[in-house]
Amino acid sequence: MRKFLAVVKHEYKKVVLKWSFLIGTLMLPFLAACFAVVPAIIFSIKGEPTRIAVIDPTGKITPRLKQNLSVDKLAAKARKAAEDSLKNFDASHQEDMKQTAAQFGETFEFVDYPFEASNVEALRREMSSMITAGELDAYLIVPQDISAPDAAFEFRSRKAGDFVMRETFEDALNDAVRSQRLADANISEETLDQLSAKVNVDVKGVDMRGEEKDSDGVMAASFIIGLMIYITLAIYGQQIMGAVVEEKETRIAEILFSSARPFELMMGKLVGVGLAGLTQLAIWLATAVVLIGVMATQPGFVDLIGDSLPTITPLMIVYFLIYFLLGFFIYASIFALIGSMVTNVQEGGQFAFPPIMLLLIAFYFSFAVIRDPGSTLSFWVSIAPFFAPITMPIRILAETPPFWQIALSILINGLAIAGLIWLASRVYRIGMLMYGKRATVPEVWKWIRMK
Amino acid sequence: MSDPDVSLRVENVTKRFGEFTAVDDLSFEVRRGRVFGFLGPNGAGKTTTIRMIVGITAPDEGRIELFGRQMGPELQDHIGYLPEERGLYKKLKIVDQLKYFAALKNVPAVEAERRIDFWMDRMKLSEWKSKKTTDLSKGMQQKIQFISTVLHDPDLLILDEPFSGLDPVNVEFMIDVLSEFKTQDKTIIFSTHLMETAERLCNDILLINRSQKVVAGSLREVKQSFGKNLIALRATGGNGVLEDNEMIARVIEHADEKEIQLRDGADPQKLLHALVSSGATVTKFELIEPSLNDIFIEQVGGGAR
Repeated sequence: MRKFLAVVKHEYKKVVLKWSFLIGTLMLPFLAACFAVVPAIIFSIKGEPTRIAVIDPTGKITPRLKQNLSVDKLAAKARKAAEDSLKNFDASHQEDMKQTAAQFGETFEFVDYPFEASNVEALRREMSSMITAGELDAYLIVPQDISAPDAAFEFRSRKAGDFVMRETFEDALNDAVRSQRLADANISEETLDQLSAKVNVDVKGVDMRGEEKDSDGVMAASFIIGLMIYITLAIYGQQIMGAVVEEKETRIAEILFSSARPFELMMGKLVGVGLAGLTQLAIWLATAVVLIGVMATQPGFVDLIGDSLPTITPLMIVYFLIYFLLGFFIYASIFALIGSMVTNVQEGGQFAFPPIMLLLIAFYFSFAVIRDPGSTLSFWVSIAPFFAPITMPIRILAETPPFWQIALSILINGLAIAGLIWLASRVYRIGMLMYGKRATVPEVWKWIRMK
Repeated sequence: MSDPDVSLRVENVTKRFGEFTAVDDLSFEVRRGRVFGFLGPNGAGKTTTIRMIVGITAPDEGRIELFGRQMGPELQDHIGYLPEERGLYKKLKIVDQLKYFAALKNVPAVEAERRIDFWMDRMKLSEWKSKKTTDLSKGMQQKIQFISTVLHDPDLLILDEPFSGLDPVNVEFMIDVLSEFKTQDKTIIFSTHLMETAERLCNDILLINRSQKVVAGSLREVKQSFGKNLIALRATGGNGVLEDNEMIARVIEHADEKEIQLRDGADPQKLLHALVSSGATVTKFELIEPSLNDIFIEQVGGGAR
């Protein structure tokens, strides 16, 4: 037992005291923050104003278009869109919106261009050459009859790839044309808005116990949890393999085996690295709890997000940790087995493919579970060994199944672990002393049966 | 019940790998406080035998007894084993590796640190304590590996090719360290290809070839049994004794001494006694022994192929 603990301590320290652990632990929250913030920063960088000429034979579209592309109008539109998706909206957000809109809005600069309606073809050529010469960025040709069903607006731009600019422009144009058509048909815009207001659909899931449950956000949270388990299992599994291969490659195994039982050594390694993984998860969880806690004290946050966050109970966290450990021991024992078969890390990398594949399949099954946690497929994949460590936590989060299913899943995966560890330890005790060449499957089978 | 003078007893041990018999019905004893040379060509079964002694693998047949008890995991703490193929963790500090190896041999942490300091100092490597393996030369790594085998103060030390990769100065240094260790009434099993080193260090030897025992016994006995019954003699008088044809086969005269070949079974002690009692003044009387190298080549070289 003392030797086992010595191995656990050694392996734990080896992982936790490495730079990569510290970086990995800090990196995930940091990356998450980056994903949230960086796109906003990039898109808020001010573009060059687009100089645009409008050929409007009707003379009615241009004023409306100019108005729609004005800062105030854009801000109002953005606010409306935000209010539709989020029920509550406070003043500070409105300010943000306005700033963003101002940046977008300024990017259009109308160039007055005198024209004669008769020769469209000549106009087109003329303006194209202006664009080539850099005097103009874009032009729009409004058709004679905007009410015709096949009326086509020609928008030609040097920066057609700038989708932010294009979408803003298209929206503004659409609105302008629509208002004009309505005006022509003598319908006021207010009337139309009232008539075409969206039906308010209240989407809520009903769980097994018949309680209403908000399903907004559950999908995102399930996906994040699934991805997190997948990544940690893959990383820590390969960590185990690397450690096993190192001891084989450097022949340290021979010294270790003359000091302690191979089973103690292998289990010590699994437990030590597993605890390191648990440490990392605990740090992440604690960070998440603290962050959410801090944000929850901000007024408005609860109203804004609170509804859509899935309820995570302490019991769920306990389940997640249990399933992380189940998954860890399943995959770590497979990786340990592979590590003791191969002769170096590169070879190990090639043979890491099957367990990684299994993990990926489990991850893909998790989408089926997110879509319908109560289905027969979800039941089976959340019970099956190899898959349950990823699919069951997601199922628990999406719609906690009856306790007997969780218990059955834990039991079956526990048995799978016992079997895999038995297999891995049989291969480990022989494979670690076999130098020179990679073991073939029949050889490994022989090792397993050896007394 | 068991003989306290015997550290290790190997009884009729056999180990097979599939069709191949790596060790075939091997028996020998290693006496306490002796340096035991375990010799044999490559592939003779030395490493397999050693692995069974240190409890890495178990024999298929036969029995291994250490200090009168059947070998098992709990006896591993009494053995220090330096394998022929050996290494260290590449990216771990030397002191941390040594602490880990000591912990695996059940040495308490405080005691381990004391011993690590002692041995690092003895090996003149103190300033390398906090370095990583990759910063050390091969010779230094060898010494670190040696330290890892003695940290738990083992009663039985098994060294497989301990000097490979060391320069002559360091070989001498290590031999000094080993002889210090030997005086502590410890048993050393020493496996090597270097017959000159074996001849210098070993009290007893065992030579195996093709999975089987070929020669065993104390170095003296072995050499005598392989002696060609040659005696180098420098003496004045006693010429009559040398004419005894029952004892002496041939006398070859050299410039300042005689080389005497005894008949098979003749006792050199009797000859010496006869010479002395005949009144001769003996200034040199030396049994010329074959070197261990000669014996090895004769026993293994003839048998091989």
